[in-house]
Amino acid sequence: METFAANLLNGLSWGMLLFLISVGLTTVFGVLGVLNFAHGSFFMLGAYLCMQIMHIVPSFWVGIIVGPLLVGGLGVVIEKMLLRKIYDRDISFQLLLTFAILLFLDDSVRLIWGPGYHVVEAPAILAGTIPFFDHTYPIYRLFLVVIGPLIGLALWSFFHFTRWGKVVRAAAVDREMAEGVGIRVPLLFTAVFAFGSWLAALGGALAAPHQSLAPAMGERIIIESFIVVVIGGMGSFPGAFAGALLLGLLDSFGTAFAGRAQMALPFILLAVVLLFRPQGFFGRET
Amino acid sequence: MTNSAKILRNNGFLFFLLFAILAAAPFILPIYWLIILTEIIIMGFFAMSFNLLFGFTGLLSFGQAGFFGVGAYCTALLIQNGIESLTLILSAGILGALLAALIIGFLCVKRDEIYFSMITLGFGMMLYTIAHNWIGVTGGSDGLPLCTIPAIKLMGWEVSLYDPRWMYLFSLSVISLGVLLLWRLTRSPFGLILTAVRENKERLAFVGANVRWVRLTSFTIAGGLAGLAGGLFALFNCMATPDFMHWSFSSRPVLMTVMGGSGIFFGPAFGAAIFFILEQLITNVTENWMIFLGAFLIPIVIFFPRGILGTIVELVKRRRES
Amino acid sequence: MRRQAALLTLILCLAVFFTVSQAHAEKPVKLGFVYIMSGPFAAYGQFAKKGAELAVDEINKAGGIMGRPVKAYFEDSTGKPDAALRALRKLVYQEQVDCLIGLDSSGVAKSVAPSIPQLKTPLIITHAATPDVTGSVCNKYIFRISLNLAQNVKTAALLAAQTKAKTWTTVGPDYAFGHQSWEYFEKYLKEINPEAKFLPKDQVAFPPFKTTDFSSYITKVMQSKPDGVLISLWGGNLIDFVRQGSDMGFFNGDFEVLVTLGAATEVLSALKDKMPEGLWVGSRYWFLANQSPLNKAFVKNYHDRYNEYPSYNAHGSYGAIMAYKAAAEKAKSCGKDAVISALEGLTIELPVGKITIRAEDHQAVTDACWGKTAADPAYPIRVLKPMKIFKGKDITPAVADTGCKM
Repeated sequence: METFAANLLNGLSWGMLLFLISVGLTTVFGVLGVLNFAHGSFFMLGAYLCMQIMHIVPSFWVGIIVGPLLVGGLGVVIEKMLLRKIYDRDISFQLLLTFAILLFLDDSVRLIWGPGYHVVEAPAILAGTIPFFDHTYPIYRLFLVVIGPLIGLALWSFFHFTRWGKVVRAAAVDREMAEGVGIRVPLLFTAVFAFGSWLAALGGALAAPHQSLAPAMGERIIIESFIVVVIGGMGSFPGAFAGALLLGLLDSFGTAFAGRAQMALPFILLAVVLLFRPQGFFGRET
Repeated sequence: MTNSAKILRNNGFLFFLLFAILAAAPFILPIYWLIILTEIIIMGFFAMSFNLLFGFTGLLSFGQAGFFGVGAYCTALLIQNGIESLTLILSAGILGALLAALIIGFLCVKRDEIYFSMITLGFGMMLYTIAHNWIGVTGGSDGLPLCTIPAIKLMGWEVSLYDPRWMYLFSLSVISLGVLLLWRLTRSPFGLILTAVRENKERLAFVGANVRWVRLTSFTIAGGLAGLAGGLFALFNCMATPDFMHWSFSSRPVLMTVMGGSGIFFGPAFGAAIFFILEQLITNVTENWMIFLGAFLIPIVIFFPRGILGTIVELVKRRRES
Repeated sequence: MRRQAALLTLILCLAVFFTVSQAHAEKPVKLGFVYIMSGPFAAYGQFAKKGAELAVDEINKAGGIMGRPVKAYFEDSTGKPDAALRALRKLVYQEQVDCLIGLDSSGVAKSVAPSIPQLKTPLIITHAATPDVTGSVCNKYIFRISLNLAQNVKTAALLAAQTKAKTWTTVGPDYAFGHQSWEYFEKYLKEINPEAKFLPKDQVAFPPFKTTDFSSYITKVMQSKPDGVLISLWGGNLIDFVRQGSDMGFFNGDFEVLVTLGAATEVLSALKDKMPEGLWVGSRYWFLANQSPLNKAFVKNYHDRYNEYPSYNAHGSYGAIMAYKAAAEKAKSCGKDAVISALEGLTIELPVGKITIRAEDHQAVTDACWGKTAADPAYPIRVLKPMKIFKGKDITPAVADTGCKM
């Protein structure tokens, strides 16, 4: 029982982090049609900036609000100066460009903050543990389990009840149509990319108290987020949620039951979904 | 003279020139640059095999390193078991990769575009996991270090592949055969069908071609040639390791092909050359090569929409026409 | 016509470039270093570089090696075997170095080992711990100055035998290093204490290298209710594991914990007071272990220069250069074969203590230090109190057991 509950919580908290990262990735793909390799670098920047801000203002909450906003600003610059120029190109060019951005950002982080490991403290209120069967469980992980769906709900309301959200959804479904009905697409693209970067950075800032910071830390997470996006359905918001949860749970239960094959599980899942339901769980028929 | 004959004659001359320059390299270049050139032609050939799928068939594979790695492992396993015939060793690499590509391709070629990229990524990483975890056969994460590699034996004449010059000439001759094969293939009726699949697969299906079969053939050949490149790479580095199968290794041919130009036959190899030379020049100057490589790649992507070689060829053509 | 002219210019440019890059001065003794300089493990390369630069400056200030100045060349292995081999080849063929020093990753070291004889240049390994490079794939050209996996794990087994723990399990990275650590631990502890029990391979934890969330592994190990745990995680993995494990009660004292690379300064300085007290931790070099004047001077010079305490990787590159100098002076030559012969059987005092490089397998016989983590107001990081020093001869496996055939 304890094993099951622990694995469930472990999987959920990891899944929630994956969700935050993937939802930005999937929205950017849905609207801009760009699969952003540098998304993991925004995740990394979010964590580093949160740490940097905490050195200036010793508050995790300030860090988690200001840090991702700065990354969102960087997203604006990158979209306007670089991505915009290659929307009409093949997807391979987009991968190459975002890969170049990834190289640039990863090395910049190493130059600015040094190559060593850094650690970010959780805020005092979330730092402790609570009793959990015979052992204890960290509050911060529970916080992740709770905050994930909350952010998800906020995003969902945004997409469904605000004008901007509806515009984004419409553009994700059909870009030409959106243009046709008079949506200012360039502005929309900038906003969506900035939004995606902000979400990735928010994921990074939330992950910071829970994993060590090192250059290129985003590269580890990017492939898993790709998998989430694909199995959930490219561009699908509920898909990202379901995919992230599934991958998180697979990770934790796989550790307990699959032994060394656990390493291949996400890729097996990816292949199986693509073979039998290529549009993903929530994707539209293509 | 018809236009196509002209192109062919021009190309024939260029091919010969290129081959002559490459064959002369061991007598001109310092050893280290010869080693880099060996790496360039092997990786360039790998990228060209990838481009059979990407440039000619329109399928962006993200798991090509899987077949490269299968080739490397088959080669390495045969060497470890004392087989000394290089023909046999490299054929095993090709065959192993062909077989793996046939099975995986059978499942993958149903999918298009990004879905194809992702499913090949998935299968490539499964191959990686096998190499990483099947310790008894593949040596696990350490891979297979090759303590001896066979010598070239030809009619009583024997030279060691440990000599970088012979390693280079051997790779060059094997790769030239591979390149000729690729060239013939892309100019054959089959090559035209490939291009047609890329341009408009619905129409091709309509006129009765089996699109899936065409794609599968292309996928399998590309896999087999990647296996050849992998086998050579194993000989060149005296090792086969799981790193050769990782997705980050699969991204190399993508990078090189896009950089060089996927629309030009030698584009990917050109991209490989640019990539390695650039890396060497940058690491000579600075330790922070990643930031400079990134900064250099960005304008390439933006200002060379057909890759560097592709854009140059385009410019030359346009000037000639005007 | 224009194209031919362009082609000619290109060839000319290349020719000029190659002649320039070929030009080199004969005088200085050239040492080539290959470490991880980029990516997530760049910290290790930086430590090694700091140690190397300190050593080079010290030697050059004192008149060089037999009057010749020392020049250092650094290359990035990126942690990948093919890139590392390219870097090694570059140093030998292009920079024409007299000796190669470096290698962080065990997998990389093992993969490139068979190629070193082709380069005909000695390689002194300073970090990679795989027993195989001085074992199954050893050769005349490869030396190792640092503590290897077998020595470190033997020390862990000696410590484990002194505890009351009966049933042991492990948490290690899912690659050869983690698996070998566990196999050697099992072997050595069984020799000392036949009573000891070890959980089977499917019940121990081998998280993949890219893991950042260890909670499910922590749960798995705690559920198996062991008496003792051998942890062979390192770097960022270890930091994440320790923090997440502390929160989940892993270090509450329900079982003995031995951390084979827990006394690494990059881990301790990232964790600071988050490192639990009372864990047995080891390292290849601990800056407070040796009270010799040589070590005190090394720690002081290093701290004065970089404002941090020397990590084991800094000591490794520093030690390798000092050993090279000693060997060259012993041989009275910087010739590669002369240095190789002189390195065989060389005894030299390094900051870590007196080491001897065995002629038979080229592994340094060196002391190991383990200790319990403890707070000390004099230091910003956890230090080791009490410390236990194990003599090199007690922890180094016999040559016959290494499988090395030169």
